[in-house]
Amino acid sequence: MAVIFETGGIYRRLIGAHLRSQMQHKVSFVLRTLGTFAANFFDFAGIAVLFGRIPQLSGWSLPEVALLYGISSLCFATAELFGGALDNFDTVILQGTFDRVLLRPLDALFQVLTEEFALRRLGRMAQGGLVLGIALAQLPVSWTAGKVLFLAISLVSGTALFLGIFVLGAAYCFWIVQGKEATHVVTYGGDFMSNYPMDIYSHWLKRFATFVLPIGFVSYYPSLYLLERSDPFGLPDWFRLMGPVAAAAVCLAAWCAWRGGVSQYQSTGS
Amino acid sequence: MNGPPGPAGPVIRVQDLRKTFRVALHHRGALGAVRNLVERRFKEVRAVDGIGFAIQRGEMVGCLGPNGAGKSTTIKMLTGILTPSGGDVEVLGLSPQRKRKEVAARIGVVFGQRTQLWWDLPLIESLDLLRYVYRVPAERYRRNLDTFRALLDLDSFLNTPVRQLSLGQRMRGDLAASLLHDPEILYLDEPTIGLDVVAKHRMRDFLREINRERGVTVLLTTHDMADVEQLCSRLLIVDRGRLLYDGSLREIRDRLGTERTLVVDLTSGEGLDGSLNVPNAREVRADGPRRWLRFDRKDTTASDLIAAVASRYRLQDLTIEEPEIELIVRRIYEKGLDLTVPVKSAGATL
Amino acid sequence: MRLYWEVAKRAFQRQLAYRTANLAGLTTNAFFGYVRAAVFVAAFTAQGEISGYDLRAAITYTWITQALIMVVMLWGWWDVAATITTGQVVSDLSKPFSYLGFWLARDVGRALYFLMFRAGPIMLVGELLFDLRWPRSSDVWLCFAGSLVLANLVSFGCRFLINLSAFWLTDAKGVGALVFTSIYFLSGLVVPLRLLPEGIQAVALALPFAGILQTPADVFLERVMGAELVTAVALQAFWAMALLVLSQVTLLAATRRLVVQGG
Repeated sequence: MAVIFETGGIYRRLIGAHLRSQMQHKVSFVLRTLGTFAANFFDFAGIAVLFGRIPQLSGWSLPEVALLYGISSLCFATAELFGGALDNFDTVILQGTFDRVLLRPLDALFQVLTEEFALRRLGRMAQGGLVLGIALAQLPVSWTAGKVLFLAISLVSGTALFLGIFVLGAAYCFWIVQGKEATHVVTYGGDFMSNYPMDIYSHWLKRFATFVLPIGFVSYYPSLYLLERSDPFGLPDWFRLMGPVAAAAVCLAAWCAWRGGVSQYQSTGS
Repeated sequence: MNGPPGPAGPVIRVQDLRKTFRVALHHRGALGAVRNLVERRFKEVRAVDGIGFAIQRGEMVGCLGPNGAGKSTTIKMLTGILTPSGGDVEVLGLSPQRKRKEVAARIGVVFGQRTQLWWDLPLIESLDLLRYVYRVPAERYRRNLDTFRALLDLDSFLNTPVRQLSLGQRMRGDLAASLLHDPEILYLDEPTIGLDVVAKHRMRDFLREINRERGVTVLLTTHDMADVEQLCSRLLIVDRGRLLYDGSLREIRDRLGTERTLVVDLTSGEGLDGSLNVPNAREVRADGPRRWLRFDRKDTTASDLIAAVASRYRLQDLTIEEPEIELIVRRIYEKGLDLTVPVKSAGATL
Repeated sequence: MRLYWEVAKRAFQRQLAYRTANLAGLTTNAFFGYVRAAVFVAAFTAQGEISGYDLRAAITYTWITQALIMVVMLWGWWDVAATITTGQVVSDLSKPFSYLGFWLARDVGRALYFLMFRAGPIMLVGELLFDLRWPRSSDVWLCFAGSLVLANLVSFGCRFLINLSAFWLTDAKGVGALVFTSIYFLSGLVVPLRLLPEGIQAVALALPFAGILQTPADVFLERVMGAELVTAVALQAFWAMALLVLSQVTLLAATRRLVVQGG
């Protein structure tokens, strides 16, 4: 327990340095935060425009799709806030700065995560949260304490799931250093496909996103539960609650991959 | 100093250390690009090929070797960055591979080429962050910081972002950073590279000081002979992954550098056309009345030679030049060690 | 003239080195294409036509726009601004050739690479996964080629101008990113502009950005024919010229500012 507090304290200090240097350039900070807000605003605007011409998408109304979008966007943006440094990990390997990480008496992954804490991502988080809020307000969901709790847990597990995927992508760089671009299919692609109901995808992609790389558990399955919809593909109802399990599985796989990657690095050098 | 001294015995113990890398061979040409995808051939490079030595607490050891000799690879294995392919490494009684974090908390490292500091932050913030990373108590941090500020003259650039520092300033910052947590061992990899003469002197003074005052064991790799001569009591020479020499500087000079040069200033005039003719010595350079005579201490003593010169010519002034370590070491690289000479000096233990 | 050819060629060759990155980027583009197309497949289940597009046209729209993203280089191009911050622009401007022409030539070389190695393969994947609607006559192909060239010029003009703001703004990237996000939507990438409500649609189609993706896509799909086609392409040409002229004028102003300030 003491270790957790101590680690938290160190994390706070390391992040604090980032916050201070970012807040020094206030205009720049505001611009960039507006930028991420706007970029995702336009993403959702596209969905809204489409719904201006069609009444529903595969049986999902605009507020329902907005729920999907809001959850996945908020989870992805939060994961980016904490794990943004993982996208640049290939540079760390290429420039040999990972050695420095190994020389310090702290966990390697922890150190890498502290290398970046970009406040501008708050813009995207805000946008996702806004869409989510409006969707929830408009949806005829019968709210119970259980559902509220479930939503909160889903947001946390969805964020953890995305974060796990980021770590997997970074671990990939230990073996294939030019790998960053390849991981974008999974990270940005996964986020993008979570904006829409999985009903519209082919059967194999849906299977993949449920059992192999369980992206579906970020927004789709939790939304099925909140909206009290059954899975059109016939999976049992308790499946919709497996978000935290899926996130845990991904994080475990990510942790193992990372450990393997560090071992690989220590055996082959940079 | 921090706490009671560690257990007796060497702080660094290396035995039959090996590191082999597999390097991919690339086929050339357009067809080769396709072949690269299908079959990959590898070449095994033995960066470190059976090195063994032991360093005691408080020693200041220099490690010399040409590029690619395996110096940096050895340091990386000592610090836990790389895992050995074979052999044993023990630092402060621990395995740097299995106990990376524990070892990291007790050592300091300075890489000449790369900094340990955060690039965008002012130096003082970097140092402050490291205080938390290494869990240094506030009082000790303050004390060390004040000491280093004075010794390394940091005040003028303490608030400058690290990316704006000159090389010399950054090295001083790195030195302070590496010692904030009172490490028992300090590793330096090419620390004086690229520094001007004044900066080099200052760094050497500093290293001598912390070795003397704090008992920090120092292991430094370098190309600069002056570093070795001014700092190190003991010298490890590495080439092609192997340890060629492990002993004191004096011994290397005594055993392998028996040549000396006698520089004489003669009164100009009589009999000075052509080279000087003196037994057991040969003239290697002439500049008017000044002559450089090379002799081997095995053949004659300096005083006998001086007497011989004085008896034949009118001597005005003289000096004796020691052979440069540079020359000796280069000879070791080129010709390999004379195997009749035992490698380890009497003082080293394992 | 020979110089610009060499510059373009070299820009093309430089891109050849990034084979693996290109392959990975291609996969990402294709995946996004799939998702967007799947959305349309679901959208068209209830109705056969949306804003003048049928399902096949809509799917083709997503694939052709995905394919062209890297050709027109919608965002993330900061080469000129980089030389401004490093100061290299000063020596570049004193060279005896058109600065604008130089960068345009480079962009042409780059665009040609992506046309061959990104757009081509993506359209191939699209054709394999779905049944795309290809142009039926060589006239359409010709119009499409022309529209594509103009689209590139418009995009180049926009990017160049945004980069030039680095002469005046310290945080050109911050402002520029904001502008790029608007361009990204107004080019028709997120959703065909013809799906917008009537009033907004008219404004959006009149803006230069529609000429970056919407127009060449519509030409490819034969969504615009006859008079509409001529208007659309003419509008592209107008904006291309306007932006290039504006770029040159801004460049002169920037150069004068440099001379006054002493670099």
